[in-house]
Amino acid sequence: MASQANYPLPSGFALEHYRIERQLSLGGFSIVYLAYDEDGTPVAIKEYLPNSLALRKEGEITPTIPSDSQAAFRYGMKCFFEEGRSLARLMHPNVVRVLNFFRANGTVYMVMQFERGRTMHDYIQKHKGDISERFLRGVFTRMLNGLREVHAHKLLHLDIKPSNIYLRTDGTPVLLDFGAARQTLVSDQPILKPMYTPGFASPEQLNGREGLGPWSDIYSVGASLFACLAGAAPLRADQRTRKDELIPAEKQFAGRYSRQLLQTVDWCLHLDHLKRPQSVYALQKALARRFGDDPVPASWFTDWSSRLRTFIGRQ
Amino acid sequence: MKFTIFQESRVGQRRTNQDRVAYCYSREALLMILADGMGGHLHGEVAAQIAVQFVTQSFQREAKPSLPDVVLFLSRVLSSAHHAILDYAFDKNLPDAPRTTVVACIVQDSQAYWAHAGDSRLYLFRRGGVAAQTRDHSRVQMMMDQGLLDAESAAKHPGRNRIYSCLGGSHSPQIEFSKRTPLHKGDVIAMCSDGVWGPIQTDVLSRGLSGPNLMQAVPRVMDIAEEKAGTTCDNLSLIAMHWDEDFAEDSAETVSTQTMALGSFTTQMEGFARTRPQGVPGVEELSDDEIERAIQEINSAIQKFSK
Repeated sequence: MASQANYPLPSGFALEHYRIERQLSLGGFSIVYLAYDEDGTPVAIKEYLPNSLALRKEGEITPTIPSDSQAAFRYGMKCFFEEGRSLARLMHPNVVRVLNFFRANGTVYMVMQFERGRTMHDYIQKHKGDISERFLRGVFTRMLNGLREVHAHKLLHLDIKPSNIYLRTDGTPVLLDFGAARQTLVSDQPILKPMYTPGFASPEQLNGREGLGPWSDIYSVGASLFACLAGAAPLRADQRTRKDELIPAEKQFAGRYSRQLLQTVDWCLHLDHLKRPQSVYALQKALARRFGDDPVPASWFTDWSSRLRTFIGRQ
Repeated sequence: MKFTIFQESRVGQRRTNQDRVAYCYSREALLMILADGMGGHLHGEVAAQIAVQFVTQSFQREAKPSLPDVVLFLSRVLSSAHHAILDYAFDKNLPDAPRTTVVACIVQDSQAYWAHAGDSRLYLFRRGGVAAQTRDHSRVQMMMDQGLLDAESAAKHPGRNRIYSCLGGSHSPQIEFSKRTPLHKGDVIAMCSDGVWGPIQTDVLSRGLSGPNLMQAVPRVMDIAEEKAGTTCDNLSLIAMHWDEDFAEDSAETVSTQTMALGSFTTQMEGFARTRPQGVPGVEELSDDEIERAIQEINSAIQKFSK
């Protein structure tokens, strides 16, 4: 039999007070659904369902978990909770919002705000080789506001890639999928190997996870930028460590983008993490320059809406 | 809570290691414990193991995530540990109950509380000086207190290993409790067996442990002690904890308990067999209760942070 695939909950299924509309995506650890709450507000619901440990056959609701996988299934749940805990305390316009968390059908669910738009991955596919410098600088500088908030909470995202960066219809980016996010210290857990995406993961992530830090996320940001330029992910970091055959962006895309932008991309993609930007802010400063030397509007760095919300919240 | 912690125990030049160390923390409370099983007595390491294990397990049962009354907890578990050792001796028909020193420290709400019996020590180092230190329950310390002995001759006194209070043994232990001690950022709490404090001066210890990088500092201090003690080196154990509230200056090893589940624990304790390989943690089973608590906790965080 081919590798097992889990069947999603059927359309129209009533999950707590939500109604499942359809499956949005299927990953190794979870299924994400579009659903509506009782007011008809759309939400994204993520269902913890690691396909190596739990199986839901067609027509079933509660997945079957073999007794020898039971412990690992519960263990993975801890990681799912960690993601929930991380996101629950992050309140930022460029980071996806968690709305609710509950248990049902023998597993657990995380309800998130549903964002309309598309992933940067889709955007790259559609505009292959034709993404403007202004767009890149604008989107990435704003996305980095969200990442800065993540790092400020002593968390690392560890899975930044174009398919985890969502572009709302108004063009503002949202960081999604914190499944790999971990409190920096809690990395000594051997079971359920951390997930990463080849090409976007930093060399530290592939080599025993020692020396992980903000610079590791910065590598992934660089790789995502690179993917926007090239239309595909850069060479995997572990291959590069053996023999670095990645042609620097500065050479590969010379003439199409400003030199300063290409140098910034190469800066992020340094194999030696000490040679990368050491903080998100350093990278933002480099990105927030326009073609000439005039800086971009300061408003890119902050979000008025979030400030306003904080003020209102305090009253 | 934010802190950096590191512990190590070495056999020295002895045949067996009768020292036991452990630390354990929940989201809101930290326990550190060190016991030095007494060599002259049978099964010293058994006594040390029982003491450390008993206290750690009680902590895990009760610190959920904080202890309602820390002093009461220390007093109760240490005297229960004493009785657990006696029970063991009784069960096994030992002619004499095994004995161990003990020093245990709990940090909760940025305040430290400790208790000890015997000559395993706790130091609180602050800004390069000793802010607090336990007083050994030893014959020489008593003689020093009475002015019969100075520090120099105490270090050479033939009876310097004689202690008058310990867990196990035929007498009830005299456990000494500290007062509640607020911790400041940068404070270091160090707990060690006489194998460490014997050969080296206090200022070597305090200087050696002054930085936040305890992963390097602890082995270095132990190297010094081991080298000084030479061929007569006793078992030596050291736990050091750097209390750290500052967010920006955290090094990668700093523990932050902020996103730990309310009911979860992290424990570092050597197994009973000294040869047991490290790094084979079992899969921790997550109980239904724990799942419910995690969900409740996340939802209350959502409520709190979405305001």
